[in-house]
Amino acid sequence: MIAAISEIANRFLGRGEAAITVPSFDGALKPNQALEQAEILLECDAPEDLCTEGTSLLIADGARLTRLTGNSTTTVRTFERPISALASLPGGGLAVALGGTEVRLYDHAAAETPRAAFTQGLHTVNALAPAADGTLIATDGSSLHDVGDWARDLMELGRTGRVLRLDPKTGTIRELAAGLGYAFGAIASNDAVLVSESWRHRLVSIAPDGSRKDLLRHLPVYPSRLSPASGGGFWLTAFTARTQLVEFVLREPGYRRRMIAEIDPEFWVAPRLRSGNSFKEPLQGAHIKTMGVMKPWAPPRSYGLIIRLGADGLPRYSLHSRADGVNHGIVAAVEAGSDLVMIAKGPGRVIRLPLASLGEEARA
Amino acid sequence: MRETLTRLRYRYWPDHLLGEILSKRWTETAIPVILLLIVGFALSRSLEHFLSASSLADTARQAGEIGFIGLGMALVVIVGGIDLSVGSIFALTDFCALYLLDVLNWPVPAVVVVTMIVGGLLGAVNGVLIGYLRLRAFITTLITLIIYRSAYDLLIQRYSNAIASAFPDIPSWDFIGGRSVFGIPSVALVYIVIAIFGHVFLTRLRPGWHITAIGGSRRSAYNSGIPVRRTIALCYVASGVLTSIGALFFAARLGTVGGDIGVGLEVIVLTATVLGGITLGGGKGSVVKSMVGVLVVLLVTNGLTAMNARGGVNRMALATILLAAAMVDIRWQKNRTRIISKVYVAPTYHALPPPPPTEIGSGGPFEQNDKLRDVSLIGLGRIEAPEDVILDRNDVLYAGSRHGDIIRFFPPDYERMEVFAHIGGQPLGMAFDKEDNLYVCIGGMGLYRITPDGTVEKATDETNRSIYSVNDDSRLRLADDLDITDDGLIFFSEATVRYEMDEWPVDGLEARGNGRIICYDTKTGTTHTALRGLKFPNGVAVASDGQSILFAETFGCSIKRYWFTGPKKGDVETVMDNLPGYPDNINLASDGNYWLALVGMRSPSLDLAWKMPGFRRRMAKRVPVDEWLFPNINTGCVVKFNEQGKILESFWDLKGLNHPMITSMREHRGYLYLGGIANNRIGRFKLDNADPDFVQYDKRWGKSS
Repeated sequence: MIAAISEIANRFLGRGEAAITVPSFDGALKPNQALEQAEILLECDAPEDLCTEGTSLLIADGARLTRLTGNSTTTVRTFERPISALASLPGGGLAVALGGTEVRLYDHAAAETPRAAFTQGLHTVNALAPAADGTLIATDGSSLHDVGDWARDLMELGRTGRVLRLDPKTGTIRELAAGLGYAFGAIASNDAVLVSESWRHRLVSIAPDGSRKDLLRHLPVYPSRLSPASGGGFWLTAFTARTQLVEFVLREPGYRRRMIAEIDPEFWVAPRLRSGNSFKEPLQGAHIKTMGVMKPWAPPRSYGLIIRLGADGLPRYSLHSRADGVNHGIVAAVEAGSDLVMIAKGPGRVIRLPLASLGEEARA
Repeated sequence: MRETLTRLRYRYWPDHLLGEILSKRWTETAIPVILLLIVGFALSRSLEHFLSASSLADTARQAGEIGFIGLGMALVVIVGGIDLSVGSIFALTDFCALYLLDVLNWPVPAVVVVTMIVGGLLGAVNGVLIGYLRLRAFITTLITLIIYRSAYDLLIQRYSNAIASAFPDIPSWDFIGGRSVFGIPSVALVYIVIAIFGHVFLTRLRPGWHITAIGGSRRSAYNSGIPVRRTIALCYVASGVLTSIGALFFAARLGTVGGDIGVGLEVIVLTATVLGGITLGGGKGSVVKSMVGVLVVLLVTNGLTAMNARGGVNRMALATILLAAAMVDIRWQKNRTRIISKVYVAPTYHALPPPPPTEIGSGGPFEQNDKLRDVSLIGLGRIEAPEDVILDRNDVLYAGSRHGDIIRFFPPDYERMEVFAHIGGQPLGMAFDKEDNLYVCIGGMGLYRITPDGTVEKATDETNRSIYSVNDDSRLRLADDLDITDDGLIFFSEATVRYEMDEWPVDGLEARGNGRIICYDTKTGTTHTALRGLKFPNGVAVASDGQSILFAETFGCSIKRYWFTGPKKGDVETVMDNLPGYPDNINLASDGNYWLALVGMRSPSLDLAWKMPGFRRRMAKRVPVDEWLFPNINTGCVVKFNEQGKILESFWDLKGLNHPMITSMREHRGYLYLGGIANNRIGRFKLDNADPDFVQYDKRWGKSS
């Protein structure tokens, strides 16, 4: 009773759950323009995920699997459907998710027939990660919407994300967690599994017994895929950032319903991987170019961010591309040799930064 | 169905009035007045004889007596103090009057004068201590309350018998005590006279302003040369004198010196003062507030007495009212501006049909292209915010800047630049009249004229006040664009009457017809409002018939035509509506058609929000302005249209890197000059197939170059 009354009061006064506060980029998340200085390795149509294979990189570009060695690219193979996730397996081998509904394991990238395949009970597999026991961890973002339709899942307050453990030996799928607000990205850490729960802006640690613990909460961004970092810790990508306007719209069911029904998703008041391409996109006050300049602190419709987490899961430093930048929509990052290679899905780029130059600000 | 209800609700329910009424200063008086009416109505219902003549006269008599003390208290509270000793002064002066009359048998006029002097002296003690020696008002008057009361107790011990045994029979004394003129008790008449004087004194005379200034900020008053100490001291003297006047009437009416006279009077008067809305912090208050407060308190106490409530209940009720009033006062003073700013923004329903297509390949007159990509730039980084640009017949280019200057660039290369005139406000639309005077709309200031030698003169900054408008809309808030007719009438748009220029996004959020078209007659110097209720009227251009003007409604996304003379005088017709963007300035093209700048383009998300006023109202409250959903004014275009409302051509810049925003354009000798209010440059674009000798000035005023 009291809870119900206080909820109504909160909604009226804009407090509690109804507050649209977004944490500021502060501390380890202090903004910089590091991603804007990244070297462009490759421009492609629809980069989605990447992984390393020995000295070369494998890049999922739509339905095509591309190998990048040095500066030369070769197409390894083309699948019948777009690749939605990619992971290299320890001891050689490759796992791919196709269209979100199918996961195949190959002995090597060019192998004709898969070693194992999972086709049942998958809907939106958007990230794969190998576990130490030979199984594969997959995040299934939503059971309502397809991989590319994540904005609809956010606008409908989707809570149907799952974390799955795929066992290639037995061909079984075990559910580690369900009811997540879009699971997007996972990694095995000791016995536990770390999962990005995008719509709740947090990083969750799931223990083998199924108990969950928030490792990072109240992120100002929507977290996505994770990958291991040399020297312990992880790279956490954030495919887009939160804004007060989107938080407000998420609390306005009437407007959301009509927006979903009447407006092209491209022009929704929702986070995007790229922005500024059409005047039909929603424009916010600080976006107005004044004296020919849009301020970098303007509320980001799209954003580029990757966070270096320590082994304890706490942020150490971060690399940004701000509202006035281009390299937005960082969905994947892996360390390859002495470089950090990332996919900026917004502009359709594979970009690279030398590891040695990173985090200087944090160390100083 | 639901949408229809929303539309009707926002069309007929004036949401915007609440904020406008609350921001009026008289609302603070209106609330006690409403309270008075409620109390009066309740009592007239529950008490039989409440409205009888004798009952009213009795109430008026008491109200007059307490009213005088209330006036004194109001004065002291406005100056930033408090006077708790009024009850004791009342008792002492009551004694003084009766002693002089009954024991010393002085004549009535002398009694009146001396009693008032005694009252003034008693007040002066407070005044000197508080004003000159700067003691705390509260503690000082508390002490004098005790001292005066003790003095009174000592005096009545000696003289009460002598006073009680005397029965003076003096007509003038009786007149003061109980007679009426035309049914109005003498005390009420005198009170009304003094109240009227007090109102004039506080609101119109210098000492009254000084009192308010000191109460508002003692230090600032001192710094601006107001004699703070003397004024404060005199307020306490006045309080004493006014109290003694009340005591005189009381003495004449009852003629007694009982022990409980004036006991607790300060609480009654203080309650009345606070209840009337006179802030205890000082600096705010009026005679009317004091009067209303006294009436409410008196009605309540008398009503309770008539209902046989005990004295304790009566006082408790008073104390409760005082507490409640003080609390409301404090909270209101603290949150007033916040509450007003929250309720002032009142979005309304504004539905537009889906816009015509603009995508490449979609066809239609608005199909995007890249014609403006190669605009060359003038004054890059040297001029800021040129909303409008204009050229004179010598090819000199004029533009406004946000520093409040009119800048001009000289041909042939427009590299040399100088400040032509400094005005001080943001120059917006510009037009030359027949005598080469440059008329400029200045945001926040009005319509200004700059003579060819650079002298700045004000043309007009006010128009007639609308009868039905709550806000005073006589001052011009956002004069925007103008054009001049052959007869020397200047028609100019005022974008909004509810907001200042920098608050234009709030007006866009409201999407109400807050703007108007105003006409200034250069021959007579008079100004009048021609049209009102327009959705951010912007560009204005005289049409080819010379009898009408074309004007743009930015948030209405339409172009309309208004006939100011001729057979269709007064008519308004829509030339074009449902534009895909927000129209800004309109100017003449060399082929007799018109140029129109679309300052920004419509986005589906804002179009939808415009149909959902509740969503926008909550957004205005919850979301900071920088994060609001805005009209997109980063991308725009220039179109050419004719008077039949047909779009002939459109000019786009897809990337908008070179010249991001377009608020106006001016054709001159085969080139189009572009202005943009958020730009730091002026654009120049070579037109194909345009008359290379076209000069707007010559064409407009029939002169050949």
